[in-house]
Amino acid sequence: MDSNVWLTAAAWMALALLASLVSIRAGISVALIEILIGVVAGNFLGVHTTPWIDFLATFGSGLLTFLAGAEIDPDSLRRHFKPAAAIGAVSFFAPFLGAVAFAHWVGGWDRQAAWIAGISLSTTSVAVVYAVMLETGLNRTELGKLILAACFITDLGTVLALGVLFANFNAWLLLFVAVTAAVLWQLPRLTKLVIARVGHRVSEPEVKFIFLVLFLLGGLAKLAQSEAVLPAYLVGLVIAGVFVRDRVLMDRMRAIAFTMLTPFYFLKAGLYVALPAVAAGALLIAALLLVKMGSKIVSIWPLTRLFRFGQREGIYTTLLMSTGLTFGTISALFGLSNHIIDQAQYTVLVTVVIGSAVIPTLIAQRYFEPPRAQPVTEPPPAGLAVAAPVAEA
Amino acid sequence: MFHRILVGLDGSDGGQRALESAAELAGLCRADMLVISVEEKLPAYAATVGEVEDEERYEHGYFQQLHDEVRRLIESRGVSVHLEVVPGHPALALARLAAERGCDLIVLGHTGHSRLHHLFLGSTADRVVERAHCAVLVVR
Repeated sequence: MDSNVWLTAAAWMALALLASLVSIRAGISVALIEILIGVVAGNFLGVHTTPWIDFLATFGSGLLTFLAGAEIDPDSLRRHFKPAAAIGAVSFFAPFLGAVAFAHWVGGWDRQAAWIAGISLSTTSVAVVYAVMLETGLNRTELGKLILAACFITDLGTVLALGVLFANFNAWLLLFVAVTAAVLWQLPRLTKLVIARVGHRVSEPEVKFIFLVLFLLGGLAKLAQSEAVLPAYLVGLVIAGVFVRDRVLMDRMRAIAFTMLTPFYFLKAGLYVALPAVAAGALLIAALLLVKMGSKIVSIWPLTRLFRFGQREGIYTTLLMSTGLTFGTISALFGLSNHIIDQAQYTVLVTVVIGSAVIPTLIAQRYFEPPRAQPVTEPPPAGLAVAAPVAEA
Repeated sequence: MFHRILVGLDGSDGGQRALESAAELAGLCRADMLVISVEEKLPAYAATVGEVEDEERYEHGYFQQLHDEVRRLIESRGVSVHLEVVPGHPALALARLAAERGCDLIVLGHTGHSRLHHLFLGSTADRVVERAHCAVLVVR
């Protein structure tokens, strides 16, 4: 069937459609369902990738990373920079070092494979955190905004590590850094200019402009043996301000990503999870999950006290920052694609990443949820009092 | 008899029947009504913030439209009503809001879920009955 592109595409799109339907029905992220369906397809249906699927998946992960960067609220990051930078940096370094040490000295992984473990498990899922906070209304408070800003800093650490640790320090890297710096410097101005002059037309020049930048910087990153997600995230960060004001552009980019690109990425991410390796590595999976959660708790919780979070809010924040999903799988797949880790190690890492999306969230929601903030619609009339909003940091 | 009645509205036929019964009862008792819709299908464990935002916007739009119709229906009966959309787990949110807002009756439709969901997870009504501090009326 591989020679028939249309039938191959139909099979993959059928899996993607199935994931969408299950996701809507179950109220669980389509990304997670796509990974799980990918696991089933890879282990039981013999589905495998082709070069064009690999390209769509790679572009999907890049675009996903770009969107993640573009979702930051620049004003909020500026306002909370000091505590967010401190919490975010510690939230990256502690699990990174903890997981590298554990994978290398206890798990017996070689140094580079241990780095991939460290990067994969250092992440914090901004989206998981955001979804949980939405349920309490915490996303609209200053505390919530601070937590989200800290998550962005952690993810910045992750993409920087992925982009730098495996790069070749040669002329290509110098060229990549120089061009990236110049592009990032001029990009907000140029993007605004493109939108103002030719934006919101049916031929979508502004979307093509952003894709051009992502392809160009991704290509240079590849020449330097770096990773395309690094420039993608940085591009997203620097033009986040433009996206905040242009929801239509954001919606269009998201529609392109979620329809045609990210399903290929997440299905592929699941495809390489070998179920026998899950059983064989169960102890290591549990241990690495504990390392990730434990190192986040030990490092972040004291900082939440330092920045005068309430006790309950501090533990809640710490647990939410122990979550991970997108960047964790991207890092693990980078390791597998570049033969830094093998399929068994990839399986262990992706299983830990999925566990870290679910387990800390459940514990935080079940035992440490702070008092409720306001409802999402109009305030109630007199006599229908609501619970006090969460104290602001 | 009842002073403030909370109704859980999810857009299902059962929820609609519960609403009509509650409106009738509120008219008889001269009670206020609090109509709550819970955005329960926000994607857990999402990959991007946008995924959550889009889903929230979709659910919010759906419930706002539903609430506009419900407000007209109930106010035409001379009953005072307040409507809200909240995110979260339906049973927990309804029981919590009933307690916080001093409601003395919760009215719910019998089921909005599939038989399979019912078999494994029970109905929202079952869980509200377990958790509520006040009387619960389940309308079939």
